[in-house]
Amino acid sequence: MSYDKPLPKLNSDNRPFWEGCRQHELRFQRCSDCGHVRWPPSDLCPQCHSTEINWLISKGIGKVYTFAVYHTAFHPGFAADLPYTVAVVALDEGPHFMSNIVGCRPDEVKCDMPVKVVWEDVDERITLPKFRALS
Amino acid sequence: MLESGLCSYVLISYGHSALSSDSMQRMLLDLSGDDAVFGHFGATGGYALAARRAMHEFGTGPETWKKIAVGQRRWANLNPAAMMHSKPMTEADYDNAKLIVEPLRLPDNCLITDGGRAIIVTSLERARDLKQPPAVIMGMGQHNPSTVIAQSDWMAGPTGARQAGEAAFAMADITLDDVDACQIYDCFTYTVEITLQDYGFFKPGGGRDWLQGGTIEPGGRMPVNTSGGQLSEAYFMGMTPIAEGAMQIMGRCGERQLGPATRTKSPEIILCSDNGGILQSHSCTLLRRL
Amino acid sequence: MSSVRDRYAIVGVGYTPQGRVPGRTSLSFHLEASANAIKDAGLNKNDIDGFISYRNFPAASDENELTPNIIAQHLGLSPIYMSQDAN
Repeated sequence: MSYDKPLPKLNSDNRPFWEGCRQHELRFQRCSDCGHVRWPPSDLCPQCHSTEINWLISKGIGKVYTFAVYHTAFHPGFAADLPYTVAVVALDEGPHFMSNIVGCRPDEVKCDMPVKVVWEDVDERITLPKFRALS
Repeated sequence: MLESGLCSYVLISYGHSALSSDSMQRMLLDLSGDDAVFGHFGATGGYALAARRAMHEFGTGPETWKKIAVGQRRWANLNPAAMMHSKPMTEADYDNAKLIVEPLRLPDNCLITDGGRAIIVTSLERARDLKQPPAVIMGMGQHNPSTVIAQSDWMAGPTGARQAGEAAFAMADITLDDVDACQIYDCFTYTVEITLQDYGFFKPGGGRDWLQGGTIEPGGRMPVNTSGGQLSEAYFMGMTPIAEGAMQIMGRCGERQLGPATRTKSPEIILCSDNGGILQSHSCTLLRRL
Repeated sequence: MSSVRDRYAIVGVGYTPQGRVPGRTSLSFHLEASANAIKDAGLNKNDIDGFISYRNFPAASDENELTPNIIAQHLGLSPIYMSQDAN
């Protein structure tokens, strides 16, 4: 069955991140000068403008910072999933990452709920990080 | 540009065939970027994230937003040009409305409108010689927090409204007590709440009590969005609030005119706000009668 | 910050039909609103020497992308200052 949802656009800024996802690793850039862990990826630290980084592999654990439950399909690829949850996950290492909460009903999702990354292998190029409740 | 002497008369113009063309559908995918990978689209989704965080941080929710939706609809019902002019809305109508992106229902969303709006701005000296009584700019302020909603940590306030408002009020040398009415950028009901809260009309979570008893409605002590706003009149971005603010100062609003016609104070000073993105940009303008 | 308090004023407002108004381009709404605002202020289009147009969302499939240049051209303006706004 073909995948009918949009896929991420790969470019020089985000390719290392998506390649990490293929390995089931959530990789972020940590600024070598000030320690800020950034997302989305780029060449420049937004806090101090340093270009020096080392890569951090996140434990994939965090909390739901906020979420929204879609009752309307803005794209036909998501119609079968309604209602579904989009969440901003505050990972323990700092970044806020947008993804879906899976494995529970939307009405079970709460702000501050602890979650852990799970991996959805879409095709040979793309694996998507999603999150489920940490029980 | 006026201040620098570059220009004498500035035209600001908005026009969009938003409802009848496919422009909005094209926007949804174009502007959602990689958020679309996770099924996140558009302004409703973005503001739903903000509104949910606000529910968590200071206990707001549909009980507050309902009063904004219903209150502004009452102004639209006095405005023959408003899209919702002949559609009254009760609180029960709001409660029964369908969820679009929870916690936001259909009446929490602004309209999509075909049409245009334009204003002319010039110096006060030139304004005195022109046809209409001028709506004088007392104060202005801006602040652009910029960060997209997914990475923002101020979606439940303080938004750009806080600094923009402080700057505008400082320039005008007035306080909130001097404001007679507000025209607040209302892409969503939550936007109105957080803007008024960040301007200081009430403390976090105080909106529901503040809105009680028809505060923002015809006959209320602080009219808000007297044309019906983007929620009930028409969506023309920041032109909706600023144009209505000017028209009310000019005394040209007919059945919805602030003053005896609507059992409200005749407006000396009106506060207008404008937003961009998902709480990413904010400007505040204070207008007064000459 | 330098103050612009009480130095400037809004002197005209232009409206168009609004709501569901099919069969018209976004350009046509800019033009009608602008012409009406100029008339409302009691000015002539030759008085306008500054122009800011709101950005549109992506152009409809039956219309070209609207830039301030295009709108200014149709209004017969050649402003000293021009820009496109909104985010």
